[in-house]
Amino acid sequence: MPFRVNPTYSAVAICIAIAFLSAPLAAQPFAYISNQLEDSVSVIDTATGRVVDTIAVAGKPAGVAAAPDGSKVYVSTPEAKGFAVVDTKKREVIAKVIVNGGTLGIAVGADGKRIYVADWYENTVSVIDAGSLQLIKTIAVGESPSGLIVSPDNRWLYVANRISNSVSKIDLNTLTVKKTAPVGTHPFGLTIDARGERIYVANVKSDNVTVVETARMKPIATVKVNMLPYATTLALNDSRLLVTNQEDGSVSVIDTKTLKEIALITVGDKPEGINTHPDDRHVYVANWFDSNVSVIDARILKVIATIETGEGSRAFGQFMGK
Amino acid sequence: MKKIALFVSVLLLFFTSIASAHGPVRQKAAEKITINAPAEKVWALIKDFGDMSWHPEIFNTTIQGGNTKGAIRVLTLKDGGTITEELKKYDDKKMSYAYKITEMSSSKTITHAGAEEKVPALPVNDYAASIELTEKGGSTEVVWKAGYYRAYMNNNPPEEMNEEAANTAVKAVLETGLIHLKALAEK
Repeated sequence: MPFRVNPTYSAVAICIAIAFLSAPLAAQPFAYISNQLEDSVSVIDTATGRVVDTIAVAGKPAGVAAAPDGSKVYVSTPEAKGFAVVDTKKREVIAKVIVNGGTLGIAVGADGKRIYVADWYENTVSVIDAGSLQLIKTIAVGESPSGLIVSPDNRWLYVANRISNSVSKIDLNTLTVKKTAPVGTHPFGLTIDARGERIYVANVKSDNVTVVETARMKPIATVKVNMLPYATTLALNDSRLLVTNQEDGSVSVIDTKTLKEIALITVGDKPEGINTHPDDRHVYVANWFDSNVSVIDARILKVIATIETGEGSRAFGQFMGK
Repeated sequence: MKKIALFVSVLLLFFTSIASAHGPVRQKAAEKITINAPAEKVWALIKDFGDMSWHPEIFNTTIQGGNTKGAIRVLTLKDGGTITEELKKYDDKKMSYAYKITEMSSSKTITHAGAEEKVPALPVNDYAASIELTEKGGSTEVVWKAGYYRAYMNNNPPEEMNEEAANTAVKAVLETGLIHLKALAEK
């Protein structure tokens, strides 16, 4: 796509520049961890490794999507049939949006303009305007859509269809399903590399990860991991894939070149959500049973810290904010 | 007056349906007990996946496979119900193992929302548990944990198959088991 200077873009650029300059120097990325069994979100200051705030979010919060500019975090609330909009400065819920039956997977566009919510009862993905919080479109996908990930160029949305054992690729210009690829049994969480060429989806029932080449939507490899792989994240310049094994209390580390498991790291009990710090080295894992977060250093492949959060930490999605 | 009553009942109905119209949320339970006996002695009582006679509610246990991943045991309860479990993890050194329920008989059939529903022996779904011993200066700490869903996976569960029923039943299983284990080990 040719780059054109457009007045809207430059206005945005100026705003970002101002926001950047006015931010205090000590401000560090925050991790937003949903605690499903106590209706809250823990805010971790990743610089100190401490929970600096706990935000009340009703409706059994599960999925998390941090807006790219860091101003908001969207949290799916299955029991409230929708999602909550959290203002990260005020650290409180500023809006609640009702979507439909059962919301879990949630993602936000790379430009922050749209929110995507999967509904595992309705078998749809709802597209919501992040400004007006109005529904733009509902897209029919496979059965029980779960994890969602937007391509870095903001052109595609990938959806793991849990019951259909497939991943759908949605065109974000036309908001239609372009293609669907078969994967392992019960795909759940997924991630995409920085170039948007490969997605890695964790298959809960077949205990493996399917690597899908996005251009052709063809599965190119299956990598065996441990019991009940739940979600995935990439680190160290996309050279390492980390996968939570929920039933094993561990994280599998896969070399993305050889597509072999090179390490198995013990974390807390029932690890679920996993996401990489903007430093591309530290990986945060939410342990549902232990109600804490393990921090892994992907270089030394060790847990370097454990942070107490709240009851039933899930943090399913891109929970690393700014 | 009638109008107000009607309005109130409609409103109530509305609230009830909102409160329960959602997918199930995974539940958890954990029970801990300290036993005044060495860990090896306690471990000896529970280490065989194929022998759950240490639990007072279990009438007998049959097993296929030994203490290795993939072993299947069938627990027959004192009331005649059966629970089939698969060993998922076994660590003799750490004195721990983890397993999952794969099948259950039903304790009764109820009618709910116009359909017959079988209430499983333990009113849960997708149940995974682990038990671990830790040596604490001559005595033993036993932690038994479980993660599960309520038995009814659709919206609006009947009371026999809701979260409360699941939590109450699981807590009872863990508690009575640990109390009995303590009694056996401290004998």
